[in-house]
Amino acid sequence: MQERVSIAVPTGALFDGARALLKSSGLASVEIGRQLLVEGDGVRLILVRPSDVPAYVDHGAADLGIVGKDVLWETPGSHYELVDLHFGACRLVLAVPNASTLNGPPTWPPLLRVATKYPRTAAAWFEARGQAVEVVQLHGSVELAPQVGLVDGIVDLTATGTTLRENGLRIAAVLGESTARIIANQASLKTRTAAVQAIVARLREAAFRAG
Amino acid sequence: MRRWGYRHVITPLVESMDVLDLGLGVEGRRRLFKFTDSRGDVVALVGERTVPVARLAAGKLRGAALPLRLCYAGPVVSTDEARFQHRRETYQVGAELIGASGAVADAEVIALAARCMEATGIRRYQIEVGHAEFFHGIMDAVRLPDGVKAAVRAALAARDFVTLESLLEDTPLRSAEHELLLRFPALRGGLEILDAAAGLVRNERSQRALDELRSVHGLLVEHGIGEVVSLDLGALRDFDYYTGVIFEGYGPDFGRPIAQGGRYDGLLARFGRPAPATGFVVQLDMVSDMLTRVGRTSAVPPLNAAIGWRGEEGLRTALRIAATLRLFGMRAVVDTETRTAENAKAWCEAVGAANLVHCADEPAVTWSARGQRARRLPPEQVAARIAGGAT
Repeated sequence: MQERVSIAVPTGALFDGARALLKSSGLASVEIGRQLLVEGDGVRLILVRPSDVPAYVDHGAADLGIVGKDVLWETPGSHYELVDLHFGACRLVLAVPNASTLNGPPTWPPLLRVATKYPRTAAAWFEARGQAVEVVQLHGSVELAPQVGLVDGIVDLTATGTTLRENGLRIAAVLGESTARIIANQASLKTRTAAVQAIVARLREAAFRAG
Repeated sequence: MRRWGYRHVITPLVESMDVLDLGLGVEGRRRLFKFTDSRGDVVALVGERTVPVARLAAGKLRGAALPLRLCYAGPVVSTDEARFQHRRETYQVGAELIGASGAVADAEVIALAARCMEATGIRRYQIEVGHAEFFHGIMDAVRLPDGVKAAVRAALAARDFVTLESLLEDTPLRSAEHELLLRFPALRGGLEILDAAAGLVRNERSQRALDELRSVHGLLVEHGIGEVVSLDLGALRDFDYYTGVIFEGYGPDFGRPIAQGGRYDGLLARFGRPAPATGFVVQLDMVSDMLTRVGRTSAVPPLNAAIGWRGEEGLRTALRIAATLRLFGMRAVVDTETRTAENAKAWCEAVGAANLVHCADEPAVTWSARGQRARRLPPEQVAARIAGGAT
């Protein structure tokens, strides 16, 4: 059995944080960024799209993955979620146009229309609160949807709120708070416990030092 | 499984919802493909076969003495594609030992599961043995408000240790059970893990589970599979269903368990015949995926003989030789069309047979074993020499 532990690393918003973490934990002294497959110190790094990390881990192509909690909400699977890395903090919010009368739950219409890249999470959250919701799944520029009358509001991630402000949107409700997490493949945890746990411990420690 | 005294049973793919409702939890029911039959009753395609087998044991086999050893094979379906490697349908082979409790029965089923995995052609595999009662004991003993306990269970079911940690951090009372819960995924290893855990738990339920695991482990060594068995106290499974020893089988470099099983003493009572029971399934689709990936497809056994013929008399001879060979357990095909001796040689190579026999309208037939010169012999002698393994 291969002893080298492989880690799925997300490109995108979490990439810089993940790179810093791997460096400070001493797992990847080599420069990462250009290649999609990097051999680190005792680990192999696989650079993938953020939303693909759970797929790589669940199928065992990677033993571990660094991934935002927001992605895990949307793609639950058979992985173990082991560590909160405390970087990449952002919130999943319901945002509405500044002029909108919508605020908390009492102000919501009988059927709320929202656009989002997180259809599963959004639908589950509103359903749990007894709110009927029509979810329109979009793949980008979600902020545009309420401005052109497609929906009442959007459910999207925000870190600083700048994008929302620039598009004339304000936060009406917070659905959840997300940070980067470490997830592990179930079989890797069982069959290669020592090697995998050792890497997890080093990442946990590095995250603790940084946080 | 026949060598272990397990009797093969066949349960239907389509089951009445009334039966499945009795046996399955909410999640299991949700994943079923359901429809109505001509009388308007709701029926479903089975998503597993333990419940149908339990129904069988409590129904049609009610008169049969316990313990019952039953095995089965067949397709199962699920609406949740992620469940079977992104397929709706998978093929499972399983066995149930009904009416026997205790370590001997638990060990028998685990050892049988191990031998089944071996029989599929997997060279290296590993079995993780845990105990549902160990977890129940901890949950009983840990001092937490009911609401938090429910949240802890939910977090563990989702394998979300980040949420688990924050739940436990917020509670003031700390106990050894707290520590165990936090270290759950790391609670695995050899016999030493039992000693380590015994030093930490102070509740009887968990303690009994540890004792049982120790005896099962001892028996598995005697079964000859001590090498591949590890103990996994942090095994997370459907704890509402399993009541005792549980286990999972893993193959090399494959991200999911290929075999799963355990003790479920509560199920049979729901069908009116209370009895302890334990069993397992092996996911054959996953096994074949795994073997394909490492380049070892299960080969179709090669043919022993290809028998060509020319003329009516030749065909009669060919059929007689084939019948004799099959009687001796050989795999033989008789050509469907007439061929000359020359063409027959190419045909024999195409079907990959070890021997070519060509029968024409004459008393002697032509026999050529692979890589050898053709010989002319009477049919009986050819049949005898092929069946005898002589070439």
